Amino acid sequence: MKKVFLVAALVLLLVTSVTFGAGQKEAARPKVTVFWALYDGLTEEYRANLQSAFMKEYPHIDLDIVPIPWDNVYDKLTTAMAGKNPPELCVIGTRWALELLALDALEPPEKYVNKATMDNIFDGAKEAYIGGTLWGLPIAAGARVLAINTDLTDKVPQTMEQLREFALEAQRRTGKYGLVMPGKKHTELTDFLYYFYSNGGEFFEFKSDGSFGKCVINSDVGVKALEFMVQLATKDKVVPAGYLSQTRMESHPVFYAGDAAYVMIGAWADSALEQAGAKFKVKYAQIPGFAGKKSAPLMVTDSLAFFKDAKYKEEAGLFVDFFYRDEWKAKFDELIGFPPVTKSAATLPQFQTPLYKALGDAAANAKPIPLVEGFAEMTDVVWDAVVMAYLGQKTPKKALDDAAREIDAIKASYE
Amino acid sequence: MKQLPTKKLSSESRMAYALLAPAALFIAVFMVYPVLYVILMSLFKTNKLGILQNFIWFENFVKQFQKAVFWEVTGRSLLWTVLAVLTKTVLGMVIALCLNVEFRGRKFARILFIIPWASSVPISSMLWKWVYDHEFGLLNHTFISLGIMRHPPVWTGDPFWSFFACLWVDIWIGVPFMALVFLAGMQSVSRDLYESAEVDGVGSWGKFFYITVPSIKQIIFIATLLSSLWTFNDFNTIYILTRGGPAGATDILITSIYKNGFEWLRFSDAAVMAVITFMILMVVSIVYARVYFRGGDEAL
Amino acid sequence: MKKLTFRNKHKIVVVLLTLVLLIIMLFPFFVMLSTMLKRGTDIYVRPPYWIPKHFAWNNFVKVWSEYHLLQYFNNSILVGLGTTVLNSIVIIPAAYAIARFKFSGRSLILYSLLAMQMFSPVIIIISLFRVFIKLQLLDKLIGLVLANTVMTLSFTTWLMFGYFSSIPREIEDAARIDGCSRMGTLTRIIIPIAAPGLVTAMIYTFIQAWNDFLFPLSFINAQKKMPLTLGIYQFVGRWSTQWEMLNVAAFIALIPVLVLFFIIEKQLVAGLAGGAVKG
Repeated sequence: MKKVFLVAALVLLLVTSVTFGAGQKEAARPKVTVFWALYDGLTEEYRANLQSAFMKEYPHIDLDIVPIPWDNVYDKLTTAMAGKNPPELCVIGTRWALELLALDALEPPEKYVNKATMDNIFDGAKEAYIGGTLWGLPIAAGARVLAINTDLTDKVPQTMEQLREFALEAQRRTGKYGLVMPGKKHTELTDFLYYFYSNGGEFFEFKSDGSFGKCVINSDVGVKALEFMVQLATKDKVVPAGYLSQTRMESHPVFYAGDAAYVMIGAWADSALEQAGAKFKVKYAQIPGFAGKKSAPLMVTDSLAFFKDAKYKEEAGLFVDFFYRDEWKAKFDELIGFPPVTKSAATLPQFQTPLYKALGDAAANAKPIPLVEGFAEMTDVVWDAVVMAYLGQKTPKKALDDAAREIDAIKASYE
Repeated sequence: MKQLPTKKLSSESRMAYALLAPAALFIAVFMVYPVLYVILMSLFKTNKLGILQNFIWFENFVKQFQKAVFWEVTGRSLLWTVLAVLTKTVLGMVIALCLNVEFRGRKFARILFIIPWASSVPISSMLWKWVYDHEFGLLNHTFISLGIMRHPPVWTGDPFWSFFACLWVDIWIGVPFMALVFLAGMQSVSRDLYESAEVDGVGSWGKFFYITVPSIKQIIFIATLLSSLWTFNDFNTIYILTRGGPAGATDILITSIYKNGFEWLRFSDAAVMAVITFMILMVVSIVYARVYFRGGDEAL
Repeated sequence: MKKLTFRNKHKIVVVLLTLVLLIIMLFPFFVMLSTMLKRGTDIYVRPPYWIPKHFAWNNFVKVWSEYHLLQYFNNSILVGLGTTVLNSIVIIPAAYAIARFKFSGRSLILYSLLAMQMFSPVIIIISLFRVFIKLQLLDKLIGLVLANTVMTLSFTTWLMFGYFSSIPREIEDAARIDGCSRMGTLTRIIIPIAAPGLVTAMIYTFIQAWNDFLFPLSFINAQKKMPLTLGIYQFVGRWSTQWEMLNVAAFIALIPVLVLFFIIEKQLVAGLAGGAVKG
């Protein structure tokens, strides 16, 4: 009898001591945690070298660069924040900044980063300006371009209508797909926005004070854009047959495999093509506007943000200064294939390729994604509308009308 | 069972509690508290960091019940569970019966059948995604080259087929467990029973229905009940294959909870669905137990 | 020449059926074998083909050297074993108590255990995260062990409860009369008889802990503490998945479980054969 109690007590003791005793040794050195989103092309070697090089220069700081696949960054971040344990730094999609700000989770990088580092960054790349303060340092900023498989065709379309024509022609002649277009809902709205922006579409009306008003994706230009997309997919069948099962990331391998003539893509194209062993030549051009409209390609930026509730922000600032040096940041940009955001890196020879030139041109006309709270939900709503239009469950007009209404409701719930 | 004097009963209780203490401690800290918190979140307005704000009774529930999509998702969850568990049970039973027969290489067959379960669910789902891929996947390629289907559907993109594509993966992952559990049960059924039945001239089907099934009745009950609970909450499969798409055709309660909680940070809505999930499963368990125990077993 | 008796015909049908089922069930496994031996540049090829044109054996080398597979592997083993051990220590007394003792709250406890099965980790992860922070369990393998133990507790307790209950009391009473203490009965008589159930419980627990993904994703940041499931996920880049690497790593992740099962299978059969329970 006593033995039972003894055993039970021992087990309890074991469990609790292991549980509590486990944590006591860690609080010695300042520890900087960086949530490191895994861009394609970014090697483990690079991350490990960056980490050890920094710690060599600053031996009193413990640095943990945590690699996380892009799809999981948001979840991991929200879990960490909800547990009151945010990282010092996190690579975020700039569009998340508004939401994070509303949660009072961020601090302006200026507080911790050298003025020299800040000044070395292109002003045009600093997208995370909200209310006059910069809330995140641009880490990757890319416009989008049109990539053309010159083995299949070399015609450069000047309008969307021409793109459709040329894609159909290439498909008829070569038997390969004309244009890559993903049709599966995912967290980015880029593939709808290519067409939407190309037709001059705006997400929201602009109120007189510059803030966002009613949602107008169901305007005539918006409906026309969606009708065009539906036509490409369902009537012309110029896009891959499995498009409904492919997110943007999953749709591109068809192009890398040489089986599609045109694709709308970003800065990672060169490194992705190389990784896939593509043997055909590629030409880059601007994503055209619809007839009579200006080309207005998308600009997507990701930022490096500082988190208010983290402990070692000063040390994190030191890391940022270290990372933005040419020897590291330029290599980063090279690996992931994005155009450099720092002035010093932009002059380096490796960034003078045709792709980079095309991206530079695109950036001049580029349009950002609206920075508004609840955008993740809105993306979901728009995607559902697009897919329902593809499936013929709703007409493009009805789909967008319903979506606009839902988006207005979402927006209202945040005010 | 001998009647124990009352004095011994209380010391028996004490001993029982002592033996239960470690498990109870675990559960209290790591399960009870988090679950209570979820229930609270469903009754409060919760901010985007998961912090409770105002107590609003059942307003959150009312809001959810008014959304058509909530009922769709709930209905789909039930359909998903019923179909999957049925298939898993039948397939598991068939496999267990096969593996119960002595033949050469049986041991290897047993180990091979375990593979779907042995590989982690997220990884298996990713593998299936690759298998299902419309352009590069070997499943469609096999169907086309064997002439089974000339234009196989887009498994993860078609609104109708995607549900079954996900369902099959869930079944695929769950079958080995059922087979294992059934097999363990079958192995402990005495051979004498079967032999005497054969002597009596009972055929294979008879042996199955009158000897095998009743002997492992308790195991079937527990296995299917647990499978129902687990299948209802199977998140990884659908999320990785279709993310609930296309246009919500494969969304079930658990994926909706994740979307609301993690992607949109609407914790109250997620919590409401979690509580509803719990209530549904509780009803299922109670109904199950009643039906089973009407058969007159005294396991509990 | 063996006569085609009913027994033999029966066996042939069974073997054929087993083969067919195996092929259906293992189809993705064949795809895995095919993909993991292809070069990265041969993956996105239309139409796909089964036998690699160039066998990329060095995928196996790359996966160990470039991607810290050994570390992830070790972490997974530690977490798997740790959870199995902790789980057994905790639930055997508990299941025994529920099976053998009468005490108030007994039914309640049984139903509560069942109720616990209704909570998927997805639902409680955020609150659980708070608990982990308070107890300083982040980035520690022991944290994963504890989380997985809790998640597997209810099932294994139920399982062992079932096995313990089905052992006739006469055996225990006989041992008690022979002078064996309660604990002695438990360890020397009951556990050996319930061995198949215990083995099943341990396999289940190991597999759950080995394959757990959500907890490491949420609780582990440090790369050197990542288990296999989390480590493998890194092959999903932002722009395209490196399928050949993913398949290699998935294959490697599969092996310990199969080995475990291979070993345990003997025990399972031995346990059953040695059991003195049914006539």
